[in-house]
Amino acid sequence: MGNLLVDERDVEFVLHEQLCVEDLCKTEKYKDFTKQDFDMVIEEARKLAVNVLLPTREKGDREGCKYENGKVTVPECFHEAFRLYKEGGWITPTEDPEIGGQGLPFTIFAPIEEYCAAANGALGGYAMLTHGAAKLIEIYGTEEQKKKYMERMYSGEWAGTMCLTEPGAGSDVGATKTIAKKNEDGTYTIMGTKSFITAGEHNLTKNIIHPVLARIQGAPPGTKGISLFLVPKIRVNEDGSLGEDNDVFCSGIEHKLGINGSATTTLNFGDNGRCIGELLGGENEGMKIMFHMMNEARLGVGLQSLGQASSAYLNAVAYAKERLQGASIMSMKDPNAPQVPIINHPDVRRMLLWMKSYVEGMRAFAYYIAYCEDKEVTAKDENEREKYADYIALFTPVCKAFFSDMSFYIIKEAIQVYGGYGYCSEYPVEQLLRDNKIASLYEGANGIQALDLVARKLGMKKGGVLMNFLTDMNSFIEANKSNETLKSYIEGFEKAKNSLAEVSMHFGQIARGPDFIIPIINAYPYLEVFGMVALGWMLLWQATIADKKLKEIMAKEGALDQESIRKLISGNKDAAFYSGKIAAAKFYANTVLPTVISKVRAIKSGDKSVVEIAEESFAS
Amino acid sequence: MNVVVCVKQVPDTESAIKVKPDGSGIIKDDLKYVMNPYDEYGIEEALRIKEKFGGVVTILCMGPGRAVETIRTGLAMGADQAVQLDDPAFEGGDAFATAKTLAEALKGIEYDLIFCGKQAIDDDLAQVGASLAELLRLPQVSLIQKLEIADDKKSATVHRQVEGGIEILKVSLPAVLTTQKGLNEPRYASLPGIMKAKKKPLDVKNLAALGLSSDSVGCAGSKSIITKYTPPPPRAAGKIIEGEGPQETVPKLVKLLREEAKMI
Repeated sequence: MGNLLVDERDVEFVLHEQLCVEDLCKTEKYKDFTKQDFDMVIEEARKLAVNVLLPTREKGDREGCKYENGKVTVPECFHEAFRLYKEGGWITPTEDPEIGGQGLPFTIFAPIEEYCAAANGALGGYAMLTHGAAKLIEIYGTEEQKKKYMERMYSGEWAGTMCLTEPGAGSDVGATKTIAKKNEDGTYTIMGTKSFITAGEHNLTKNIIHPVLARIQGAPPGTKGISLFLVPKIRVNEDGSLGEDNDVFCSGIEHKLGINGSATTTLNFGDNGRCIGELLGGENEGMKIMFHMMNEARLGVGLQSLGQASSAYLNAVAYAKERLQGASIMSMKDPNAPQVPIINHPDVRRMLLWMKSYVEGMRAFAYYIAYCEDKEVTAKDENEREKYADYIALFTPVCKAFFSDMSFYIIKEAIQVYGGYGYCSEYPVEQLLRDNKIASLYEGANGIQALDLVARKLGMKKGGVLMNFLTDMNSFIEANKSNETLKSYIEGFEKAKNSLAEVSMHFGQIARGPDFIIPIINAYPYLEVFGMVALGWMLLWQATIADKKLKEIMAKEGALDQESIRKLISGNKDAAFYSGKIAAAKFYANTVLPTVISKVRAIKSGDKSVVEIAEESFAS
Repeated sequence: MNVVVCVKQVPDTESAIKVKPDGSGIIKDDLKYVMNPYDEYGIEEALRIKEKFGGVVTILCMGPGRAVETIRTGLAMGADQAVQLDDPAFEGGDAFATAKTLAEALKGIEYDLIFCGKQAIDDDLAQVGASLAELLRLPQVSLIQKLEIADDKKSATVHRQVEGGIEILKVSLPAVLTTQKGLNEPRYASLPGIMKAKKKPLDVKNLAALGLSSDSVGCAGSKSIITKYTPPPPRAAGKIIEGEGPQETVPKLVKLLREEAKMI
């Protein structure tokens, strides 16, 4: 086994055997790349993650961020790691080479992000937000703003943030109270307080550029009256040099369950009336613009969750192979039977295979979403472009919410494999659990993601986007249902897929009637069903490829009976890998997908207890 | 200053090495390959020399097609150009045959200094650097951990690790220096570096291009022949000495060390 962050072989499989990412090199946009380039980039990302970022994971957690007189100090070891990260060009792998990026496909960025998040999610946040904020300026900024801010953020010289949340405006962004007063020179004076701002203040960079949501005086109420402003921590002079401070004061940091190396700050803008911001984009267009960053961040949270789950899983497998405890179940009556590694125990294997199927299913789906981004930007015509753009919109809340919750359960299961040791800080899984919990909360809590899926995304193009997704899965089923080895699992998948279609139609039918509350109550269970079916598609898709390749190896090696196949798997890495792929898909189809059907039945029961129960009755 | 760094592609230390059933070699199917870690120090040092004095850094690598991955890693780190020596006839060569082939290739390259890793982590021979210096009639310093080039670039002061201390030598240039851990901290290839590496010159030379005869290189040109590979014997299980407290166990241990292990 190589590194304990990401399974290299599985990355290779998803990229080259499932998505055939090399085909992207046939398009005009990516014609300068080859498979060799992709492999080399991922290999360097692996080295960076393993040798530079991972050594800061535990240290950063133990040391944490320190706050003193408005200034935040990050863990000491973050400085060198961040320097190598930015100097290596890892903030801008996919950006246009003309603005300092490398123009790589998004599908190649996905494993880079997974590796980095697996190595240190807390540190990764600084880079991710810097990228996201710079991207907003790239898309919506004036030439002057790009020159002034974007270039120095993409290079990592300065950092960025995302200032939405206020003490009274969290999930309800429309309640934003921060005020922007227009000045004569066209700038705005900003006043207000933002809370839970990740990387809002730190000493990693000399300046921090805050995109801040605020209400221009007299603007309409709710989200329609919100504009976005670029507010530097330190003002930037005409010649690009740093000027005086901009009256942005960090009044404290949160003390949290995890990501202790990530500064979660409260920022006061304009305590002394001297905080100046520049409008980004048009007046009252703040939400539309910020959504671009939020969507990017939501997919980023999905990849972060995947990375952490992946690392927990690989650590659990390694531990289970080493830890001796108990005799084999086959010799339980023999008191002298030797202890065996716990990976021999059926319950441990059940946990590991469950984790494997989810981690690999999530990886495939995350990379597939990234692949949709590449299909969008390389589309032959408008129809194709629109199909993939809509897919990204549909899948984003699922990637964010389903992945963040599943990854938490996966890490929880990894701790279970370790037993009591997993609960102790001597092993990495307890920190992974703490660091991961934030994923279901920030960038839009998971309940909000579920509402986004059900209330906004399902209805897109009158349900046409969902229909496209169902059609793609139907085509897969059609093409593979006669596969002798996988037939029964594909049938199981078809049933689950039909259940998803059925409950989606049901929601559509009742959405405008008196039972409209049912889809709202069940938005989250629906999101789970959606996620489970999507992963089912991925795993079975992978199994069809693995089945073919395993059969080729078996034919080549002349392995025909069970014993010789078993022997082949123990001596041939590829055979073991493909066999594992089939096992994960089979396990998932037989034990996870049937629960989709019962979840759908539960949703369709029409139970309204959650809204019927009186507040007084929750607790006495 | 022009510097040549000799680089070898070797199996990753994380790979499980399996010997072929007939003992004729190792099974290469599942192997992952990396740049020999000691050669990375050479590349880093060469890049630092270039940054200080200017010049060209050339990677010289003998190896089959796949070795291009290693060469490109070196180019991505910042080397300017590379020469790959690739011919079936080069295969299976010992340190002497390898050094001879490299020496021949070096005739076509300008250099003021040559770096080799102190040894390759696959066969651990540690002879190519020394043999190469001998064939080129150049001075050689092995296991260097610090290097200072004189202002006139005609000589260098070199620190090398010796038992119990550091030996400081002055060496005239050009010379062959073999690099050791502690010399520097090799840089990572940056993303822009990886992209730039694609456009850097890579010259692939075969036997004919070097003008050597097939019996002077590879297995045929070797002074030593590998007759058989065997995996190291599996480590025997340890022995746990049972007993109540040190009064009981220590005498047993002493007895075993004396009679069985014959160590005392």
